[in-house]
Order: sequence, then structure tokens, then C-alpha cells
Amino acid sequence: MRPIKALTTLLLLLLCIHSMQAQSVKGKVTDSDGGELPGATVIVPSSQKGVFTGIDGNYELELEPGTYKIEFKFIGFETQAKEITLAANETKVINVTLKEDAVFLDDVVVVGYGVQRRREVTGSISKIDGKEIMAMPTPSFEAALQGQAAGVQVTQGSGVAGSGSLIRVRGVASVSAGGDPLYVVDGIPITQDYFLRNNSGALNNNPLASINPNDIESVEILKDASATGIYGSRGANGVILITTKRGTQKGTKYEFSTRIGMSTPASLPNMLNTEQYLQLRQEAWENDGGTGNVWLPNFSTASDDAETRALAFQRAKGINTDWVDRTVANGFKQNYNFAVRKGGEKYGLYAGVSYDDNSSFLIGNSYERISARINADYTVNKWMKLMFSGSMSRGINNKVDVAWSGGLGAAMSTALPYYPITYDEDELDAEGNVINEEGEYFLFNGTNPVASQSLKKWRSTEDRSINNLTAILTPIENLTIRLSGGFDFMHLREDIYNPGALSQSSDLGSTNRFANYILNWNYSGTANYLWQVTDDHKFNFLVGSEFQQSNSYGYDLFFQDVTGPVYLVDSLAENIDNAVQTQNNPSQWSFLSYFGRVNYTLKNKYVFQGTARVDGSSRFGRNNRYGFFPSISAGWIVSEESFMAGIEKISFLKIRTSYGITGNAAIPDYARFGTFSQQDNGVLYNGEPITFPMQLANPNLRWETSRTWDAAIEMGLFNDRITFELAAYHKMSSDVLLNVNVPPSTGFTNYWDNVAQILNRGVEFGIKSRNLVGAFKWTTDFNIARNYNELVDIGNYTPDAVSGGTNDSRVIVGKPVGSFFLVEFSHVDQQSGLPVYFDLNGNETYDYDNANRKYVGDGLPDFVGGITNSFSYKDFDMSILMTYSIGAKIFDSSSKRQLGVVTDWNMRDEILDHWTQPGDNATFPGLTLDETNYGLPSGFPWWNTDLFVYDASYIRLRNIAIGYNIPNAHIKKKNFDSFRIAFNVTNLFTLTNFPGLDPEVVRDFENAQDRNLSPNVTYLTPPQERSYNFSISMSI
Amino acid sequence: MKAMKITFISKSIATLAVAAFVITGCDKMLEFEPGDVIIAADALQTADDAQRLLNSNYDVLANLYDGRVQNCAELLSSNLAIPENNNEFVSVYNRETNFFTSYTNGIYTDFYRAIYRGNVLLENFDLIEGLSISEQTRMEAEVRFIRALCHFQIVRLWAQPYGYTPNNSHLGIPIRDGASQEPLPRNTVAEVYDFIQEDLTFAFDNLPFTNGVYANRSSAAAVIAQVHFLKQEFMLAGNYAGEVINSGLFTLEEDLDRYEEGIISTESIFGIVSNPLDVRNEGFRDNYRSDNNPSPTLTFAQDIANVLGQNPSDNRNSWYQQDGGLVKVTRFNEKEFYNIPIIHLTELMLIRAEALGEQNNELDQAIGYINLIRDRAFGEGFNDLDPNSTAEEVIEAARLEFFKETLCEGKLIDQLKRRGTMGENITVRSAPWDCPGMAIQFPNGETSAAGFILNDEGGCN
Repeated sequence: MRPIKALTTLLLLLLCIHSMQAQSVKGKVTDSDGGELPGATVIVPSSQKGVFTGIDGNYELELEPGTYKIEFKFIGFETQAKEITLAANETKVINVTLKEDAVFLDDVVVVGYGVQRRREVTGSISKIDGKEIMAMPTPSFEAALQGQAAGVQVTQGSGVAGSGSLIRVRGVASVSAGGDPLYVVDGIPITQDYFLRNNSGALNNNPLASINPNDIESVEILKDASATGIYGSRGANGVILITTKRGTQKGTKYEFSTRIGMSTPASLPNMLNTEQYLQLRQEAWENDGGTGNVWLPNFSTASDDAETRALAFQRAKGINTDWVDRTVANGFKQNYNFAVRKGGEKYGLYAGVSYDDNSSFLIGNSYERISARINADYTVNKWMKLMFSGSMSRGINNKVDVAWSGGLGAAMSTALPYYPITYDEDELDAEGNVINEEGEYFLFNGTNPVASQSLKKWRSTEDRSINNLTAILTPIENLTIRLSGGFDFMHLREDIYNPGALSQSSDLGSTNRFANYILNWNYSGTANYLWQVTDDHKFNFLVGSEFQQSNSYGYDLFFQDVTGPVYLVDSLAENIDNAVQTQNNPSQWSFLSYFGRVNYTLKNKYVFQGTARVDGSSRFGRNNRYGFFPSISAGWIVSEESFMAGIEKISFLKIRTSYGITGNAAIPDYARFGTFSQQDNGVLYNGEPITFPMQLANPNLRWETSRTWDAAIEMGLFNDRITFELAAYHKMSSDVLLNVNVPPSTGFTNYWDNVAQILNRGVEFGIKSRNLVGAFKWTTDFNIARNYNELVDIGNYTPDAVSGGTNDSRVIVGKPVGSFFLVEFSHVDQQSGLPVYFDLNGNETYDYDNANRKYVGDGLPDFVGGITNSFSYKDFDMSILMTYSIGAKIFDSSSKRQLGVVTDWNMRDEILDHWTQPGDNATFPGLTLDETNYGLPSGFPWWNTDLFVYDASYIRLRNIAIGYNIPNAHIKKKNFDSFRIAFNVTNLFTLTNFPGLDPEVVRDFENAQDRNLSPNVTYLTPPQERSYNFSISMSI
Repeated sequence: MKAMKITFISKSIATLAVAAFVITGCDKMLEFEPGDVIIAADALQTADDAQRLLNSNYDVLANLYDGRVQNCAELLSSNLAIPENNNEFVSVYNRETNFFTSYTNGIYTDFYRAIYRGNVLLENFDLIEGLSISEQTRMEAEVRFIRALCHFQIVRLWAQPYGYTPNNSHLGIPIRDGASQEPLPRNTVAEVYDFIQEDLTFAFDNLPFTNGVYANRSSAAAVIAQVHFLKQEFMLAGNYAGEVINSGLFTLEEDLDRYEEGIISTESIFGIVSNPLDVRNEGFRDNYRSDNNPSPTLTFAQDIANVLGQNPSDNRNSWYQQDGGLVKVTRFNEKEFYNIPIIHLTELMLIRAEALGEQNNELDQAIGYINLIRDRAFGEGFNDLDPNSTAEEVIEAARLEFFKETLCEGKLIDQLKRRGTMGENITVRSAPWDCPGMAIQFPNGETSAAGFILNDEGGCN
């Protein structure tokens, strides 16, 4: 018995072995560049027998002898089919080169709580690949989105290291509530508070600074209601989904990249030198009837006698300090990224570490970021998969004073050119005592930009960790359950050391530590069921629930008589009891949501989607807590219709439309409560305690809602060689939240109310054209968008009820949000040299009256967009990105001092075009030291006129990059998969008529309302950065 | 092993799933209250809470009448020289305030803050437990007294005076009789005065005779007298003033200093208190003191020294010191903290004296009051008014003493305006009493109410 069994087994084995060696198809699958395609599918459709290509693109498929049709597939490429006949014992070699597919249309796009094939998307979504973000170094990653998506206006703050951008998706639809889109990283709406440190040092907090651009796989921007509807609450201003890299393919791949670069200012201010300034000031003095030399701030005073003034004037003549030059220098940037991607049957892993040190062109200013990420996927068994995304980063921002706070801002304002940086000899008082020693810093207004930069120690450290664990369960076929828990932790510490030398009152300095930490938890559970009823009818159902809570804590420490900041002097951190401590009370908010989505595809041609979401927010009272946000949308893939079959030129045509309601609740957490002071507020009158009301309750405070219509055509021509998309939208936002400045006669100052209505409507157009596709390739990507914004209604309030901080902007019914409200300037009278203004009736007058302020333009552009031209020839490639903005105006608020009355500010050289004698036709009036000559009230030389509202249209060469990929032939020898060298320059040049520093500006804001109402206002805001970078990236 | 592991994993997943859906089903998770303040509903519960809220009204008054309001009114008159080192004061002095002038905006805002606090208390008595009817009435009377006092002060500074138009239909100030955020337009001066008198009548009827340092019946009577006096209702003014004078509760200070440290002046009918730890007189102290400051912000106009100096035996000459071209004020020297009378007996006596003069009635009483005050200033029996003086002479004497006695107190300008409405050709430093700039400009924030009409500006220089 046994021997027979053994023999049979042996025979079978031999047969098998024989068969195994018998017949197979093998070969290599590559793309059109000759690069291998690992993980491609080689399959015999009839038998469903197939294999994947290996890491090197090779495959071997064993088959019985016969005739087969074999298909070669890979996502993003056209499937190829080959017919072969296999004889016994034959091994055929079939190498296949796959052509790239119309990437635009079969792409997979991340939508809320899932992914969709692009062709089936009925909403308006723009996708930007992670590679494009890495191609351009920016202070913070979101600035690289500029010009990439129609309808998304990205304005970078400034060249200050770590500064953030202002992003507006289809215009601004909020006034006092936050108007920024919702940022979601791997499914977690992250903490995005721009005002954690208010505008300390003229810089707002940037919550995206610590996100490592190298980790990003793709960014999807959801623009209309059907796309954002699933994020209902908070989707009213758009949603930006950030997806990080994962280890999806088989095998192990190592990636390393480095970049070094230099940053310079894109432009520099044109301040006067000593000779010019003294001459102008003397002229102003004489115009006012003064005799002798004019008095000079910090050198002499108005009441000094002529001799003292003359001595001071002589002394000043001998000093010429270029303060701008002393605050600006080329900065050095370096960036290193190392990542590992591993994939196998059951797991995928992406692990990366990065170091980025970005010094800006401001001396002493840099943003250093160290970050690490692990994204792991593990398939536990056939019905459960776990996905973990975790990141940790530390961002260290070495800050310097900018804008109104000092530094370059002081160089543009109060730092007069005749001030020396240090005393070059001892300065004595009348009795011969030394009051200032040689070498001591010369201080004005208690500071000096060079002294401040060298003595003041200032650093902001942000520790950030964004993590998410998701379990994906597929208990039965077509049903997917996702359970997800996320945690976003932020710990921000700002340390400021004020040295004694600058305080003039003590030898030792003082230091502050301002600390915030925010814990943000997010839980969600969704169930997704795919029901293919028949070939023609396909349904996809999604239901889910989500809860998010955020707790913010903070404390402040103040130490007196110290020699350095907390992070340099260890003894301080150890002895916190020596500090004056203030504990800020925690602030909490939460959202609770239930949502559902149905997708129905009919005959693969007609696509319908409906979503509904109910959101409750802790910020509203019981009566108004929950908002209901539904949306419906439909798409018709016309190119699938039979009547389109004959029209070869049109390879793809789709029409889609949507309508939905989204909401916004981004207001302070406790705005609805009526509040009183604490019992122990410490105030006594007549020895007795008091208690007093602080905030008036508004129990009717409720969601801000936007109703959006959207319609679009997507078309591909000539086999998708040209693809374009044309979209139009109409968005009406109502119950817009206003933090109204109530009249002082109410007894308090502000009140949150749902009052306003804002309209945004516009058109977006994007076209991608592969102009040349031969050996020399040229692709153009162009997008343009026009948004019309109008404040429709503000209830019974007048424009003065809502104002944009210190920025002379107002809400004006019938005009855009972000309108400048200033006195209209007429001209300079040729005979008298005095400025002439217009009153409200259009009559000319010499009187400057704040009551004559009116709408004089706004900061919103008529058109924005970008043009990217990419070229490639053999192993070289070049990409040129130009961004443009047309029709916006900028109000240069600091011009009112730089080009107005001669005061203790330095002035810009445009002032040289001023009136000097009767008959002169000049831009600026006759110079004076007395503001009343310009009709301004005594003591207030703030010249709020539209003389300083300029056209800020520009087109900018944002990025030009040239790269060389070392050919496969060479790198294969060293086992490299890819090796690329690239060189790029950002902000190389700008075409604009704007006379100021930079037509692209986002200044520091005081709060969310200021941020919405005052776009395009600049006040000593530093220019953008121009950087030259050289990078090497490789993968093994 | 593996099976157990799977079971464990599936169990934990199932638990998580259930937990997820349960957790996400609770509305309680959406209730958060701020930590550093008290929710309104919790703030007013006991009688103590109510008293504290009431005390907060006085706290605001103390921050206003520490010299701040008095200086503002004084700057409009001819008593002061042009201020030194203070642009905002200069704006008021020049009668060129605009809606950005933060000094006057601050005063306006603070007065309405006191009014708001009072209204909150009035509307929430029912929330408070353990409050007896008499206590509640007393509190209501105090609140309404303060509310009237505030409206009275604001309408005098921010609008043209009573009598500027025949039926006082000219614009006054917004009346706030409730706590709300609603923007309101300006009421007419007639309406404002009616409202003030209604509140004062209630206060007069319901305030106790004594109430510590807080408002009492005499305080109400005194303010009613002031109101009637400005309305030229001289009989009523005289009567109410007489009630306070004859109550016996107040006597004239023996020396000329009614700003006492630690004790309340005997002639203070209503005032604010300071103590070393809680100083409420900085408006006077920091602007007038000349002993520790070579160039004080506020000094007298030269005219004051000239008028007072005409009679060297007037002890009120000790209130100032000529220093070169400056007339420095010395009456606040060498004092750090002191109580400030907002309404005092001297003023009431002079009001009654002038009211009696206007009625040509009981002139002997009027002369008696004037002589009491002159005796204090010159010494007993010196410079007394003749017992046979005519009504005109009585009025003139009362006005002269009023002018001298209320120096620094900001009371003169109202009387000058009143006399203007009575037909006298009054100018204040060459500006007519009713030029537009004499009414301070409202804060910019008031225009957030549609239809709010701002004052005209300028026209005074």
C-alpha cells in the first residue's frame, strides 16, 4: 500500500515539476520612458488567472498550452491586450510598454470620507499632487497651492519665515466668523487657530507651519456644496483635504532628497538717506515759517534755540545709516528628507524623517522644522485592515520684530537715517557726566533695530503631533465599515527676552513665556455599502457619525531681573515659583454630527449624489444647536452616449450640477453666553466688593449658512490631449455672523449676532493642453477665475457697526466685503500746494473730515489664476509657473506717514515729487511739519485718504524649475531607481504698477473679522522672498 | 491561539464600534461653559449679589467723577489756561472734539456702562432670592438715582442746553431704560429731562435719609434742585435746595477744603470715596498738582488770578500761585487721596440764593447764604453783602461766589449756558455759548445705529 502511494506521489510530483517548467509567458512591463512598472497586473481575463509584475517590472505567468488573450493593466495607464499562442514547453517573452492614460479622468480623487473616480464626481474638486508642492519651497506648504486650482485664491503672507497664507475658496463668505477653509489632514479637521498669540510681533500664528510638505501625497480642494456638503458644518468656506503618503507598492524603496537654497527679498523699500531727509525736513520747517535749522527728533527739540538746533543739524549731517541694509541679508535654506516605503502582501509602511532649516532674508529670522512620520497599513485578515498615520514635528521659529513692531518695519518708519547705530564717542550732559558710553546702542523710542535683533531673544516653539488610527472592516462583501480615532496635539510656547539694555531702567532684563496647548480629538464611524443591482444600476450608500472636541489651555509666565529667556536659562524653568504666573482658563468646543450619502450611477453615464448632514455645535444654545445641511448633485457623462460615438474629436464630455447648503460656526466658544465677572475680581469700591455684567447673552445665536448652486462642463478633446473645465457658481450666505460694535450707549462694546447676507458668484475656467507630445513635450496648464463678491445686507446696522481693526475697511452694503473707507483725495492745488479733498457731495474742499469718508475701492481681485508651462526633452524638464491677480487694489496704510506730514518717520523717495512753488503740478502737497496744514486735526497726522490706494494687479513668475533625471541606464548600475537634480527660483520677477514693496500681501490681523475685512492692506509688511534653490532627490 | 486572538480582536472592535456610536449619541457633550466668568443665570442669586451689582454702579461713577468728568466740563469754560502736554484736553479746550477723541469717548462710554449695570439689576430682581421689599425698593431707588445722574451729566455735555430751543425739541442723547444691544437714536432734550425727572422723583420718594456713602434722599433732592435750576424753574429749584439745606444733615466746611482725606466732608451731599488702597481722585490729583510737578497739565486762566486777586483778603487766593506766566493750582497739593463731593452744600446754598433772587423773594435768606460763604472766605463780617441789596445785586453776588467756589469743579459752564438761554450775550473765550463745538462730539460707535445724527463740529474759534 505504502509504496504505491509513494510512487504515485512521486509520479504526480514529477508531472507537476514537468508542467511547471513547461510553458509560460514572461517579460517586462514598462512605461513609455522605459521605467519599470512594478505591481502591474498581467491577467488572462477569461480564466482570471494572473500575476503582478515584480519590483523590476518583470513577470512570469504560467499557463497550459493554448491561445490566450492577455491583458496588461496599471492604474493611470491604458490597458494593453496581447494575443498569444503557447505551445507545450514553450516560454514566450512578451515585453509591453504601457501608454499613460488620460490621467485627468480615471484618476481617483479623495472626497469626504472616501474616494471616488474622477469621472463620477459630481462636485467641484481640484486636486494637486504632492510633487507640485515639493517642487517649490515656500515658508509654509499651502503657499505652493497658489495658481494651481481655479477659484482658489492663495495669497502668501510675506517673506517672514513661517508666515502663513490666506486662502479663499470662491471668495469670502464670512465677516466676523472665520473665513478660512477647513483643513483636514488624513481625516482629522486639525486645529487651525491663527490668533493663539494674537498678532504678537506683527505676525499671526500659522497652524500649518509644522506640517512637512514632503509627507503630502495629494491635496484636494473641495469647492462646492456637494463636495463640502459631507463636511456640512464648517464647509461653507471650502474644505482642503490633505492626504499623506503611504507605502502602497510592493517591495522596499528608499527615498532621499535634499535642497539647499538662498533667500533674498523680492524687493526692498526706497527710503530716504540723510541728505534727502534733512533737506525735506528743512524745507517743511521753512514752509511753516521756521528759521534756522529745523529741529531733529532725538537730536534736538522744537523749543531749542537756534544754536542748539544748528549743532544738532551739523551732527546729523555726518551720519548716514542704511537701516534697511542692516536688517536684511541673504538667508540660507537647507532641507533633508529621508523616507522608506515598504509594501508587502499584508502591510504597507511609509516612514520618513525630515529636517528643514529656512532662514528668511530678515537677519535673525528662521523657521526650523524637524519632523517624523510613520504611516502604516496592516491587513489583519481578509475582513479587517488597520491604518495608522502618525506624525511628530517640532517647529522652531526664531522671530524678529517686523512691521509696526520694529526690525525692517522700523527701518521703513521710525529709524531715521541720521541716527547712528551706536555712539561713536561718549556723550556727556551739561555737567560733564557720561550719559551714554561709546559703543552703546543709540536708542530711539526705546529701541533700535540692530540692538533689538542682537540683544532681544525671541523664539516660538511648536510641538505638533497629528495621529489617526482607522480600522477598516469588510465583514461582508461590498460593506465597508471604517472606525477612526484621531488626535491632534499642539504645544506652542513663545519666549521673549527683553534685555535690560533696551529698557533703560534696569541692567537685567525680563522674560515672558506664553504657552498654549491644544488637544483636539476626533472620532468617526462610517459604513459604506456598494450595491450593484444590475450592470446598469449601481448604488453606494454611506452613513456615519462623527464627534470632535477641542480643549485649549494656556498659561503665561513673567520673570523679572533675568539674563536670558526660559529656553536658555535653565534655572528659570526649574524655579517657576519666581515667576508671575497667569493661568488662562480653558476653552472648549465640540461638534457632533450624523451624516449620510447616496451615490447612484445609471448605465455608467448618469451619476447622482445626495448627501445630508446634521451638525450640533457647542457654540450655540439648545434652540439653535443643530443645523441641517443637505445637498444634491447630478452628472451626465455625455461622451458615453451612443450619439457621441461618432464624434471622435471629443473624447470626454461631462456636464454636472449641484445644489447644497453648508454651514459655518467659527466663532469664539462662549459668544452666546451672558456673563458676569468672577466673584473675586479684586475690585472694591468703598471697601465693598462688586460684580458686573460683561457680555450680553444671545441665545438666538445660530449657524451661518451658505446656499450654493454650481454647474460645470468638463471636456476632453483629441483623446484627452486637451482637457478643460468650465464652472459657474452662485453662493448666497445668510445669517452671517457679525461681531457688531454696538453703540457705546448700550453700555458694552460688542455683540455677536446673525445679521448679514453675502453673495459670491463667479466663473472658473481651467485648461490643460498637451501641446507637444513627441520627444520634446510641452504641456500648458492654465486656470482663471472671476469672483463677484457683494455684501447684500447688514440688517439695521450701519457700516460703522463692523470695522476691520485699524485698517480703515468697512462693510458697505452693495460693495464687496473688504472695502476701503477713506476720504477721497482730489489733487494738490497748484497755487497753494495744499491738498484738496472731495466731500460726500463731490465738491472740492481743503477740509479733511472723517465724515467725508466713502468707499474708494476694495482689496478683492477681479481675476486670479495661474499658468504652468512644463517642458521635457529626453532627461531634462523645465516647469514655469506664473501667477496673476488682476483688478484688486491695495491700501498702503503706512504711506500715510511715509508720504504725508513730515514727522519722526523716514519717508519714501516718491515724496521727492512734491509741490515747491506756485505753478508746480506735483503728486504730493507742499511739505509741512504741521498736520493742520493738510486739514488734519491737531495731534493726529493720520492721513486716511485714497491717495494711498493703488492698483495691485500683477503677474509674477512664481517658480521656474529646471530638472535633470539621470537616465535609467546609468543609475541602474548603482541600484538607483531614480536620480534627479533640479534648480529652481521662486518669485524671480513681477510685473506690476504697484509702487510699494509687493503687490502680494497679507498683513498681520487682530482677529478673524479683521482677517476677512482687510485683505490687501499693508502696513510696513515685509516683502515676499525670492529664493534660489538647488535640489537632489533619489530613490533606491 | 490564533482563534482566540481573532475573537479578542473582533470583540474589541465590536466594543469600540458600539462605544463609538454610543459616544456619538450624547448631546451633553456639546455643553461647555466658560471658566473665567460666571454665567448670567448664576451670577444674580442672593441679596448679596444684588448689592454687589449695585456697588459696581458706584464703582463706575467713582472712575468718572475722580476729576475726569469735572476736568472735561471745566475745560469747556473760561476757568482754565490751555492745557500742557495733553492733546485730548486741548481738543476739548478748543471745542474741537471729534468722534475719535478718546478722552470724551471714554467718559461717554463709562456713563452708559453704569446705566447698563443699573438696568441689568432692575430687570433681574425676580432672579434674586431673599430680598425684602424694602431692600428691593431701596436698591431700585439707588439705581434710578444713578441712572438719572448719568443721563443728566451726559445730556449737559453732549447736547445743547435746556432752553436752546423753545420747546426743547433739539436733539439730546439716547435714553437707555433697558439692557439691550439695540442701537437707539437720540431723544430730544425735552424727553431726556422728563426721563431724568421721573427717575429722580422715584429716587426722592424712596431713598432713605441716610445710606452710608451711597445715594440718599438728600442726594436726590439736590440733583432735582440742579435740574430745576437749569430749566429756569426757580421756585422748584429753590424749594428742593431748601429742603436739603434745612434738613440739618449738612454743614459748611469751616476751612476752604472740601476734599477731605479719610472723612467725608460735612458739606458733601453725594460724593465718591477714596482710601489709600483704592484711590479715586486721580483726575484731580494728577492733572492739577503743582508741588511735585514743575509743569502741571491744568492751570488756571490768568483771569482767575486777576479776579480773585482784586480782593487780596479773599482766602481763596490760597488756591493758586502765580508762577511767571502760569497760574498754578495749589488746592490739591500735598494730598494723595481724598474724597470728592459731587454735590455739596455750598453749591446748593448758592443755587437757592440765586433762585430766590430770580423770584425776588426772601432776599434776606439769599443774602444770609451768600454771607455765610463770604464769611468763610474773607473772615467773619468782612465783605458781606448789604442786607438791603436788590434782587439783581443778590443774583450777581450769588453768581460771583458760585464762580469762585466751584473752581475746578466743572459746574460753571452749565450756568453760563443757562444764562445764554435766558438771553444774556454770553461768550466763553470769544466763542458764543451755543457754538456747535460746545456740545461734545459723540463717539464713532454711535453711528452704528442707522439714523443717529452726530453733532455739528467746530464753529467756536
